[in-house]
Amino acid sequence: MTTLEDQASAPPRFVRADGPAKVTGSGRYVADLSLTGMLFAKFRYSGVAHARIRKIDVTAAKAIPGVFAVLTAGDVPDVRYSPVIPDRTLFAKDVVRFEGEILAAVAANSPAVAQAAVDAIVFEYDELPIVADLEAAMADDSPLVHEDWASYAVTGDTPRDRNVATFSSLSKGDVDAGMAEAHTIVKSRYVADGSHAAPIEPRGVLAQWEGDKVTIWTSSQVPFDARNGVCETLQLPSNRVRIIVPHLGGGFGGKCGFHFEAHIAALARATKRPVKLVFSREEEFLVPDRRRESMIIDLTTGLRADGSIVARRGWIAVENGAYTADAAFFAQLAAMHVAGPYKIDNVHIDSHLVYTNHQPSGSVRAPTAPQGCWACESHTDELAAAIGMDPVEFRKKNGIHTGATGVVGQVYDEIGLQQCIDAAVEQIDHAAALGEDEAIGLAVGWWPSFPGPSGAYVRLDSDGAGQIVTGAQECGTGAVMTLRQLAADQLGMDPEDFEIIYQDTAVAPYDTGATGSQTLLNNGRAVVDAAEQIAEQLRQHAADHMEAAVADIVLADGHAHVAGSPSKNVSIAELAEIAGGGELLIGKGSGKPPDYPEIPGMNCVGDQGVAAWAAPQFSCHAVKVRLDRDTGVVRVLDVACAHDSGTIINPIAAYGQVEGGVLMGIGQALTEGTHYGEDGKQRNGGLLEYKLQTFADAPRITTKFIQIPTADAGPRGAKGLAEAPNVPTAAAISNAIAKLVGRPVRQLPMTAERVWNALQEETP
Amino acid sequence: MTTYSTTLSVNGIPYSLAFDASRNLLSVIRNEVGLTGTKEGCDDCECGACMVLLDGHPVNSCSYLAAQATGKEITTVEGLSSGDELHPIQRQLLDAGGVQCGFCTPGMIMSTDALLRRTPEPTDEDIRIGLSGNLCRCTGYAKIMEAVKATAVELSGS
Amino acid sequence: MTSITIPTSLRDVLEALAGGARPIAGGTDLVVSSRQGKAPLPEALVAIDQVAELSEVKTGTDGLMIGAMVTHARLMTEELLVESYTAVADAAALVGSPSTRNVGTIGGNVMNGSPAMDTGAPLVVLGAEVELRSTSGSRRVSLADLWTGPGRTSAAPDELCVAVHLPLRPVRSGSAYVRLEYRRAMEIAVVGAAASVSLAEDGTIAAVAVALTAVAPTILAVPDLDALVGLDPTVAAQRVAPAASATATPISDLRASDTYRRHTIGVMATRAVEAAARRASGETIAVPVNRALGIGAAR
Repeated sequence: MTTLEDQASAPPRFVRADGPAKVTGSGRYVADLSLTGMLFAKFRYSGVAHARIRKIDVTAAKAIPGVFAVLTAGDVPDVRYSPVIPDRTLFAKDVVRFEGEILAAVAANSPAVAQAAVDAIVFEYDELPIVADLEAAMADDSPLVHEDWASYAVTGDTPRDRNVATFSSLSKGDVDAGMAEAHTIVKSRYVADGSHAAPIEPRGVLAQWEGDKVTIWTSSQVPFDARNGVCETLQLPSNRVRIIVPHLGGGFGGKCGFHFEAHIAALARATKRPVKLVFSREEEFLVPDRRRESMIIDLTTGLRADGSIVARRGWIAVENGAYTADAAFFAQLAAMHVAGPYKIDNVHIDSHLVYTNHQPSGSVRAPTAPQGCWACESHTDELAAAIGMDPVEFRKKNGIHTGATGVVGQVYDEIGLQQCIDAAVEQIDHAAALGEDEAIGLAVGWWPSFPGPSGAYVRLDSDGAGQIVTGAQECGTGAVMTLRQLAADQLGMDPEDFEIIYQDTAVAPYDTGATGSQTLLNNGRAVVDAAEQIAEQLRQHAADHMEAAVADIVLADGHAHVAGSPSKNVSIAELAEIAGGGELLIGKGSGKPPDYPEIPGMNCVGDQGVAAWAAPQFSCHAVKVRLDRDTGVVRVLDVACAHDSGTIINPIAAYGQVEGGVLMGIGQALTEGTHYGEDGKQRNGGLLEYKLQTFADAPRITTKFIQIPTADAGPRGAKGLAEAPNVPTAAAISNAIAKLVGRPVRQLPMTAERVWNALQEETP
Repeated sequence: MTTYSTTLSVNGIPYSLAFDASRNLLSVIRNEVGLTGTKEGCDDCECGACMVLLDGHPVNSCSYLAAQATGKEITTVEGLSSGDELHPIQRQLLDAGGVQCGFCTPGMIMSTDALLRRTPEPTDEDIRIGLSGNLCRCTGYAKIMEAVKATAVELSGS
Repeated sequence: MTSITIPTSLRDVLEALAGGARPIAGGTDLVVSSRQGKAPLPEALVAIDQVAELSEVKTGTDGLMIGAMVTHARLMTEELLVESYTAVADAAALVGSPSTRNVGTIGGNVMNGSPAMDTGAPLVVLGAEVELRSTSGSRRVSLADLWTGPGRTSAAPDELCVAVHLPLRPVRSGSAYVRLEYRRAMEIAVVGAAASVSLAEDGTIAAVAVALTAVAPTILAVPDLDALVGLDPTVAAQRVAPAASATATPISDLRASDTYRRHTIGVMATRAVEAAARRASGETIAVPVNRALGIGAAR
């Protein structure tokens, strides 16, 4: 194990391949593209949270000069889609279930005309009762969000009941017996509001048909998913749909999944024109089926007299919203975070994914984790306090470590949770001494890695210039940018010798996309494989050229040389020129993804595959905050982070992921939460009232990486990193606030008013 | 007569334009002038992606009437570098790792340019406040802070 | 469809107004409202930003005149204001971002009539009057007479706010504006309070005025503060809190509940009086007082 600081030199210079385009303004995002003859799309939304459709009349809209098409449900194939629980259609049919549901799509010769047409669509409906409260939704007499829920063609182990879209439980040991044995029992409830990914780029889609093939430029994190969604809903073979993502202006999970590509492709087909959609900021808030889920978490934990955890019982409701986007695994994932990275022999957690008439939930950066961790770790500080133990000592004692058995029975290989705790504590202690109304809080978090299929090609052309052609998607993290470092290292070349062709489903092999922190883990392997095939070709050419044994050829510094005789060398460019006249230098990589761990006797109902964690990542964040007791305003002054994400390949990008995740976590902790009105509609769908952290709010952030080259992970033992830094920040802030207030603030975000309310509570 | 005819000077080049008087400067820069480096991230001056300079001062071009820019020098991100040479803030942002998705980057660069003209040797707090109108969701601002400080040192020669 | 004229003389502006045009200064309110679909742009606009005389700041025998086109960026740095009318500078420095401060003007702010505007409460405690002018003449009105409700003023459609007038300051006086801030920047007032304090030679309160932001349909002065005269400033600052809370008639909205607003307006009033008194005693507290003293909600 090494920390990054142990390495002698500063992080190597890393300049993004897409950097010059981004800093000069020449980089094109979807909204920047236009095609000759292009029309402009707008959607007509339901504007009502729950209603039965009486009539959608588009006659007047179609009659407006400049309107080329108005499409509704009858104009596209009747397909119900979504992974695991297919409960959605492209356009509303019969019933609308949230305010941002699409009734119709318009294409017109200007945005203003398109808007006029949208306004001219007649929508008559009968209001239905709004399902908004998670617990009420689970009652037997609750109105149903989906009356036909039982008819949906679900897949896998997916127990369901009325408004419970799916149910999952974790179970190990005997919780009743464990509780009976407990010296101290602590019971807590935590409630987290929903929140948003809020990338700075509102999404756009541009579609153009040529013959029977469609090209779609879209701001998607997952081009292949988007392609598959278009194919499924418009009933097209995959090779007729080409998805291209130009530069992507952030996603944070909000641009995962299949969104509006099919609507725009259908408009483009109907009008025989290119059609472009660009969302307003308000649409970006209200419409996509990807926002962070609200949650209710009940936790009861029994402690032995020595401070070890003997049993934990949990009950969780996770908001699904009106439709199931990719949230089918959220119930189980939430249970893992509420259980936490602890050694507990007796665990039982019931977790429910619950339909409401709100915007659908979906994978926003580490779904369910910041909220689940916030509950688990706030509860952990309550546990430590109940038994009079220091919270750090409590976590060191109960936290899992190499060789320990976790909450579902998984036995962990070498992991760095304990070292993360030490490193975070050490860093925060180096921050200045505590002032008045200041406190330090700390939390640990975990997050899985997701091995999966992924492919890439690498080629060297005859001038020695390299090209990486990858299915991977760059959403800003730098993961795709790091691929050229991997290829270069494999070939003894410079990263800047390579260009990257990416984000085009027609030219590159499959990749899951910028989701699940998986790019480096999976596509990194693919690129290393592909580059190694070229390395083999180069070594053969070099051996032939220098009359040496292939096994003795070393590729380094842009040359092939004979081991032990650096002066006996030939440049890779020269070898590439030789190869250019014969068998070309082309490598293709994919390979078998690392295996998921097997857990004998794992006892999960509703297993969606997220209990056994491959290459789990660990983290500990320690924060210093200051409280204004008269107002409840909290400022975060310092954040000290320690992460075990395996080997760190690109340090600058890695620091950037942690720092960005921390700031998003501060927002979740203090200011970012969705307000709903009685009408089931969002009240703060804009950046004035939905408050992202500004530059002025950014604290000092220090980071240490506990580098454990991890088996069954990515290249050189790298794990994922994009989501993990978003997990424990809000929890650490909660624990610092609780020290100052004298009790936890049991609602997320912990707004100034909620903190002030907690300050007014009488100490029992 | 609602079309407004005027000449706008963008990055030192005069453009003779005619547009509806209600048009905002951002849409005219992107559509009529044809420079798309200036981005649209919101509609109420909250995100700063649309930041341009008017006579050297930062302005949210999304909420400023294009007609009112008549007679003022408009600078966009495309006007910052000369030839193939990156402006120091552009180069420093890349070196420090202050660019991720890049969508806030042009606006952040324009605000930085204005800040450093106004305050050549800024404190950390000057930078925090000076750039508080530019939201970044990727970086946590830390690497941008490093880049701005390095740029200030480079430009002021201290 | 909208038309715009951009005159350079005040007379041309006033004639355009008489012909039914609406004035536009920086555009931050008008353009944002139209882009968000809240209110379409008026059919005829007259830009006032090219009228040089509207951008003047001048001292006279009766005090300070601030032209309507003076921007927040200038209000927060203009020496005459920072020295003697500091609360205005405090407020201007908290508005939006450098870019909105660069475009937003005091005239636009005052005539927009929002109860959440930051410069309003400072102008009230400093006794400001607004000068309105039309082709048929000129008049001065107090802010209390100008603001008739949220977003509403008593100005006639053809009247232009050309200047804000601030009376001379007494000796040993200071002022401050304090705002509750959830974030350290880019906030809109949840509640805010301005105070103006004059001290007697013995350091006790000689005169005090307090006005409140975002707790009523218009910005309100706290009435009946005479009882604070003669008190030690720290005592006066504590006593002003219940008076402020009692004056407030806040609403509950997504920014805060009425209960929380009623409490925090008292806190802000106390802090504003404290800071104003310190300035009155000769202490320099940098602008804005929020950032100089506190964690965003100065104390």
